[in-house]
Amino acid sequence: MRRLFDELRERLLRAGVVPQHVRRYLAELSDHLADLTAEEEHAGRGRKEAEAVALVRVGRLDELAGAMIERPELQSWSRRAPWTVFGLGPILSLGILYFVACLILWSGWRIFLPGSEKPFVRLDGFAVLYFGVGRLLYYSAPILIGWGFAVVAARQRLRVMWPILSMVLLAWIGCVTRVRTIGPVVPGDVGGVSMGFGFGPSTGETLIYGAVMLSLMAAPYLVWQWHRARLAV
Amino acid sequence: MVSEVDRLAIPRTVRYCYLTKMARATNPSFLNGVPELLVLRLLEEQEMYGYELVQAIRSRTGEVITAGEGVVYPVLHALEREGAVRSKRRAVSGRSRVYYSLTPAGMRRLEEMSGVWTRVADAVQGMLKGGQDAEAV
Repeated sequence: MRRLFDELRERLLRAGVVPQHVRRYLAELSDHLADLTAEEEHAGRGRKEAEAVALVRVGRLDELAGAMIERPELQSWSRRAPWTVFGLGPILSLGILYFVACLILWSGWRIFLPGSEKPFVRLDGFAVLYFGVGRLLYYSAPILIGWGFAVVAARQRLRVMWPILSMVLLAWIGCVTRVRTIGPVVPGDVGGVSMGFGFGPSTGETLIYGAVMLSLMAAPYLVWQWHRARLAV
Repeated sequence: MVSEVDRLAIPRTVRYCYLTKMARATNPSFLNGVPELLVLRLLEEQEMYGYELVQAIRSRTGEVITAGEGVVYPVLHALEREGAVRSKRRAVSGRSRVYYSLTPAGMRRLEEMSGVWTRVADAVQGMLKGGQDAEAV
């Protein structure tokens, strides 16, 4: 029975069925089998025979898989439109997290450093924590998002190229993005924060930073893939 | 006697595919929607979980409609995605079960599907009895 469910799970995930529906389907089938077995036992069959009859009644593997796969409404978006999900998804997610990081920087500047020419100065107390959250978010955003898309790809048994595409995009954007601040125009006011793209003073360092980021993002996913391939052999 | 269809200058296989497609396009519930119709009709009365639904279908149809019992769940999942039913997990006798109930959208869908089904069934019945004028479905 366990083997039937394992094979069914793999077939459904590979065919692009939403993992949430796969999980619930298997749970419901398991309950259904338990009910059928109890019914057959109640009718006077032995345990083994009751389980065998219950398996036949619940349906063949092909039938159970086909009934789920042929319904387009149960297909995941990452299967229906992988280019959109793994191409645009990471860019949009990174844009949102970078916006939040900039907002933290700008609001911290306004709250803790009013009148200061720039927000990158020595800080004390709660301000360290406040600005620290923004800085952490800024530096870790590409890696966290890359891991997120790797988890999606792993759960849905997608081809390696899709999460790698996301990671390359994220590493590229992550390494060329620069935060810029503009000092206040009127003394006592707060300046502005903006973002731009560029290689900075050293192209080599920027590229090494991108490569490190890509390695950090891809390593767990590739190790997982390698482990799975070994188990399959 | 040569029928209208036989007079068409296209191969029989192509003709069959065309007519089947036409039937599906104009009347999808007749060919594909029977499980949905039965499930919606049963859920109209009370909320049920999968095993209960299958048993109810078996007994109410005099075991005429039988399939792999597990295939009822994809029907339920699809109906839920469309908003026709909603699911709720509930613990009963120490086991967690997913109960399904009908939504207002499901009620409308049931009315619509029942109407189409009744007209199709009447039309087929009429033909089998030898009638000539069936209402267009």
